[in-house]
Amino acid sequence: MSTINFSAREINFKIVYYGCGLSGKTTNLKQIFEHVPGESKGEMVSLQTEDERTLFFDFLPLDLGKVNGFKTRFHLYTVPGQVFYNSSRRLILRGVDGVVFVADSAPNRLRANAESLRNLRENLDEYNLTLGDLPYVIQLNKRDLPDALPVDMVRSVLDPSGTVPVFEAVAAEFQGVVEPLKAVSKLVLEKLAQKA
Amino acid sequence: MLEPSLDLYGETFERVEAVLANLLVKSHGRYALIVDRKGFVLAHQRAVWAPKPPSLDSLATLIASNHSANLAIAQLFGENAFHESVQQGTDVGTYVEELGSEALLVTVFDGSAALGKVKLFTKLAVERIRELLAEERGPAPTLNLDEGWSDGAVALMDGLFGKRTQP
Ligand SMILES: Nc1nc2c(ncn2[C@@H]2O[C@H](COP(=O)(O)OP(=O)(O)OP(=O)(O)O)[C@@H](O)[C@H]2O)c(=O)[nH]1
Ligand SMILES: [Mg+2]
Repeated sequence: MSTINFSAREINFKIVYYGCGLSGKTTNLKQIFEHVPGESKGEMVSLQTEDERTLFFDFLPLDLGKVNGFKTRFHLYTVPGQVFYNSSRRLILRGVDGVVFVADSAPNRLRANAESLRNLRENLDEYNLTLGDLPYVIQLNKRDLPDALPVDMVRSVLDPSGTVPVFEAVAAEFQGVVEPLKAVSKLVLEKLAQKA
Repeated sequence: MLEPSLDLYGETFERVEAVLANLLVKSHGRYALIVDRKGFVLAHQRAVWAPKPPSLDSLATLIASNHSANLAIAQLFGENAFHESVQQGTDVGTYVEELGSEALLVTVFDGSAALGKVKLFTKLAVERIRELLAEERGPAPTLNLDEGWSDGAVALMDGLFGKRTQP
């Protein structure tokens, strides 16, 4: 549920990057932080372990500017992908407006991707949400791996119905990072416009 | 609605800001913020003498997540919540009170304030804000999001990153 602050004339959205451990969620936020001009971004906050695995979340606020007199802002979060941090993942999903699911193209991560997606469904269920209700796109990351699985194969596992937008990416090189963010943001904005 | 947000608008908003300003005067706190459970700042005030605050977005996000983590810890032990939420460093501390189920009131203070006063006046401010929110008020404003709105937002989005297409 987007937060609309009429007095400060602000509309705020929360976008969460979800996916299995090491799929590249934090890399997405770091790349966005590096490539967005200074006046449009705030500080990036990372709560991570010493070996740079996400422990609680990464956070990056983005400022779109004014639309119809309302300052429009996106708050981007990543969750920790490691299986045992599930209680943190659930907390981060609170109030989510849109999800980018970051999948890993490595053959030995296919199962981890599928399990992470199932875990996302379970955690959304705690908030009475389903992926069907929520603006949601898939980023297929690490396309540069020499043994990267074919797109269709990963898709058939993560989105058998073929209805979810899928974007190929090499997040570490800032390829395919902007497109899924734009796509999910657009879905979020359209959803709010429909409701109004 | 999934996440009821605190309805602050019009005159109520100004009165809530005045309550926060008064809280700072009485407690000698530096900053007072109302933060929703998602980590967004709904209202804030800064004491005239206080140094420039750090990023309020970061502060609000960390306060809200920390609070929800503490709540989850309390619930592991069958508690509804922990009653006190104070953090104190050498120079600066924070005190957090729940403002209904939707939001938190945070007072940031330093060594020039007495913790007892910070707690007392933060609690009083919470009560006062609850009263203000319970009063009869005019209807909430509605958002006028015509068709052009999401197009306008998408155009800004394009501007933010520069137009680019899928490689
Ligand atoms: N080959 C390749 N490696 C990548 C790519 N994107 C990220 N990586 C690497 O994958 C590793 C993990 O990236 P992170 O962004 O920290 O992964 P994460 O999803 O945040 O992991 P958790 O925080 O544990 O959930 C790092 O070493 C990255 O450099 C990519 O597109 N290709
Ligand atoms: Mg990470």
